[in-house]
Amino acid sequence: MNDIISAALDAAASSGASYADVRIVDTSREAIQIASGVVEKVEHSDSFGLGVRALADGAWGFASSREVTATEAVKVARQAVAIARASALVKAAPVVLAPVEPARGSWSSTCVIDPFAVALEDKLALLIAADEALRTQPQVAITKAQLDFFRERKWFGSTEGALTEQSVIESGAGIVAYAIADGEMVSRSYPNSHGGSSSQAGWEFILGLDLVGNAPRIAEQAAQLLSASFVEPGTRDLVIDGGQMSLQVHESIGHPTELDRVLGEEAAYAGTSFLQLDDVGSLKYGSPIVTVTSDSTVPGSLGSFGWDDEGVPAQRDYLVRDGILAGFQSSRETAPITGRASNGCMRADGWNRIPLVRMTTVSLEPGTWDFDDLIADTENGLYVETNNSWSIDDKRLNFQFATEIGWEIENGKLGRMVRSPNYTGITPKFWNSCDAICSRDHWKVWGLNNCGKGEPMQVAHVAHGAAPARFRGVQVGVGR
Amino acid sequence: MLMTPQEARDLARSTVAMTAADEAEVLVGADCSALTRFANNRINQNVAEENAIVSVRAVLGKRVGVASTNRLDTASLQAACDAAVRAARVSPEDPSFPGLPGPSPLVDANRALSATRDFDAEARAAAVGAIVAESASRGLTVAGKVRCAEHTVAVANSLGVDAGASLTGAQATVLSMGAATGSGWASFLDADASKLNAAALGAEAADLALRSADPQDLKPGDYQVVLAPEAVADIMDFLAYVGFSAKAYHEGRSFLSGHLGDSVMNERVSILDDALAPFAMGLAFDYEGQPKQRVSMIERGVAMSPVTDSYWAVKTGRTNTGHALPAPNSYGPMPLNVAMEPGEATMDELIGSVQRGVYVTRFHYVNVEDPISVLLTGMTRDGTFLIENGRLARPLKNLRFTQGAVEALAGCEGATSARKFVGTEEGACYVPGLLLAKFSFTGQTS
Repeated sequence: MNDIISAALDAAASSGASYADVRIVDTSREAIQIASGVVEKVEHSDSFGLGVRALADGAWGFASSREVTATEAVKVARQAVAIARASALVKAAPVVLAPVEPARGSWSSTCVIDPFAVALEDKLALLIAADEALRTQPQVAITKAQLDFFRERKWFGSTEGALTEQSVIESGAGIVAYAIADGEMVSRSYPNSHGGSSSQAGWEFILGLDLVGNAPRIAEQAAQLLSASFVEPGTRDLVIDGGQMSLQVHESIGHPTELDRVLGEEAAYAGTSFLQLDDVGSLKYGSPIVTVTSDSTVPGSLGSFGWDDEGVPAQRDYLVRDGILAGFQSSRETAPITGRASNGCMRADGWNRIPLVRMTTVSLEPGTWDFDDLIADTENGLYVETNNSWSIDDKRLNFQFATEIGWEIENGKLGRMVRSPNYTGITPKFWNSCDAICSRDHWKVWGLNNCGKGEPMQVAHVAHGAAPARFRGVQVGVGR
Repeated sequence: MLMTPQEARDLARSTVAMTAADEAEVLVGADCSALTRFANNRINQNVAEENAIVSVRAVLGKRVGVASTNRLDTASLQAACDAAVRAARVSPEDPSFPGLPGPSPLVDANRALSATRDFDAEARAAAVGAIVAESASRGLTVAGKVRCAEHTVAVANSLGVDAGASLTGAQATVLSMGAATGSGWASFLDADASKLNAAALGAEAADLALRSADPQDLKPGDYQVVLAPEAVADIMDFLAYVGFSAKAYHEGRSFLSGHLGDSVMNERVSILDDALAPFAMGLAFDYEGQPKQRVSMIERGVAMSPVTDSYWAVKTGRTNTGHALPAPNSYGPMPLNVAMEPGEATMDELIGSVQRGVYVTRFHYVNVEDPISVLLTGMTRDGTFLIENGRLARPLKNLRFTQGAVEALAGCEGATSARKFVGTEEGACYVPGLLLAKFSFTGQTS
């Protein structure tokens, strides 16, 4: 691979690039899904290719190809430089990259049992058992159990002398039961919705989820939800479980602190951010107990790596500290605008995409509360679990989430189950209403492998550490 | 160099022959695309991609496995064929699997245009320059994209299916933003890039941005609403995604379930899928190589029919309408050429008929809270106005809505005669603007 990288870098430089980098990426995926006793998916897919990013005349160009040869690399590099020159026809100030020590070396995620080496029969047997265990309630009409495995090898080099090799293995799984009656449908998922949860780990992660053991509880709750009432519209104290908290962090802290969004670079598609550059150090993002980190060194987390896709080393940084905005997720191009070095958040979705500022592991740091104590301390509220749907405006201010299940909290005790409760809020007001976060005993990292951003669309694998937390005076039961 | 339809068909057929299964199907998808993004009045990203994926579906009795690769050497293709067979061998039987479909007569609808193929980086930069000039000259900031793509798709199977075609798409989007929080939007989609009038598109967005400056509050509640086509397309997309599939219908997850023949929307509403219409974009056959049929899902407000593929046609006792997605497909069949029949009004006439209501240019981040009622929530964006006495009275801050799509269309009071393509070349909606009697706005960004 080093010869191909060198050929591309030499071609880019000789074509006039002031900077270029090359990524060769080799990915494999395996997806298996059983639905209501029927195999819906047994699929293996491979993708291999190279991409060259070049700076010429102060502007960016990128080209990519599925042919990984030295000859093709030269062609692609020259194409990237030509595209950069076209970009320079409509440019402002030349792009300036923050300095970084050229990355050299290799890194790989940890994996005890290679999931690609586990027999397909064993994977199918697990899913069939989990799917059967979901079909224990007459109200449950549709069931699904799925496994997803991902393997990536990536070689990176730059004209500054970077040369790295990284490899990642990810494993994920989830189950869901849908109960349907009289034109109404509810869903209940484990360990999370939208495909479950994933980790940089092997087959051991799947076994640890105990899909089969959890399936009867999920099915029973799905059946119960059909006859549960909707939550009464109004304002309530809201306790949110770790899974839903992970998406709350993702949408209302992760995305708005992406520096490219703050600078307007994603305005036309994903949107911008309500945050301004000079808000750092002064904006009261949340209550003093709210601290949020961006950390690409968390072992086993989907957002972890040795170096990002610009060769910046993995690191931990604060986004919100003691309630105050502390910084942004950045890149080599955006960081200098804030007077800081890149904190290494540039990632690309494969060989045919450019790196963008993406979340790594963005976590709400744990608090001090025990979950039972938190419920006991809540006089009249609502406890919700597991995301059902999400929506947030283009500045990441006005959000609305629906969850799968909730329970009324009455006089410090969980009471009546409620169906698909939703809630809405304005980001800083919401986070400033946070008055309790559960302790590290209740904190875990949730892997999300479906974060979309950019044009052409890129899907990032990210993660969020979160524990249950309480928010005062939240509007619930919207539009019901 | 992108492979031709004939080359893709040859590759698909030869790969079918390499697959040691009872039945085999091969889908070849080759793409050559380039996209120039701009923000802050300059090009900030500029990318090009060439790829080709070969996907093999192997069938052993009623067992199915799928494997795909973008390595097109013989050894890699053979490995993909073998992987698909291995997957099929260990998969449990699906008693309902009817076997692969046989060949059906296809309409030749080659929709690839050289003007789009030749729209290179310099041409895209020139278009961006014209768009930027319209906002910059008005003191505005602009962002968006100009994208050109050519796709070649071929499907072959061991029963004789042998389909192939190329198509092109040219797309541009423009978001113009003012300092006083106003923003405006304009978009373009066509198979032919030469039809892009970049300056006019840039001016449309910029003028809307100026008009929407200094937006005001609006108390949440139910309002009569006029939706521009971009907003209507979001509703159509979700109806197609959760409502129009025979799988969702069969499983009781669709608003059509148990209601075929019932009046579910206003009689002004007719929604169909017709890939062969003169105005249509995209492929004329589906990803099983079957001809896409014209299907009326909603006719004058009455629920008529979901769309099917080979599996769900047999499963539900219907004819195959040719709406298969690539295998393995857990979503079920999907209409990718949705069109809503037009009305007779102009947009000004729709607005003119409203005493007090809301005009929406487009939505942002719409998601479904309840699939059966198609209960949607999302935000308005880039040009929301209060309508008073038949005129756009003043711009509004972005509003959150929480509204059932079926219920909203039951209150359809008018549609424009003009329609617009929204989306991408394979999967675009062709929709008019609409006047709806009631739309529930449940919040606002302050």
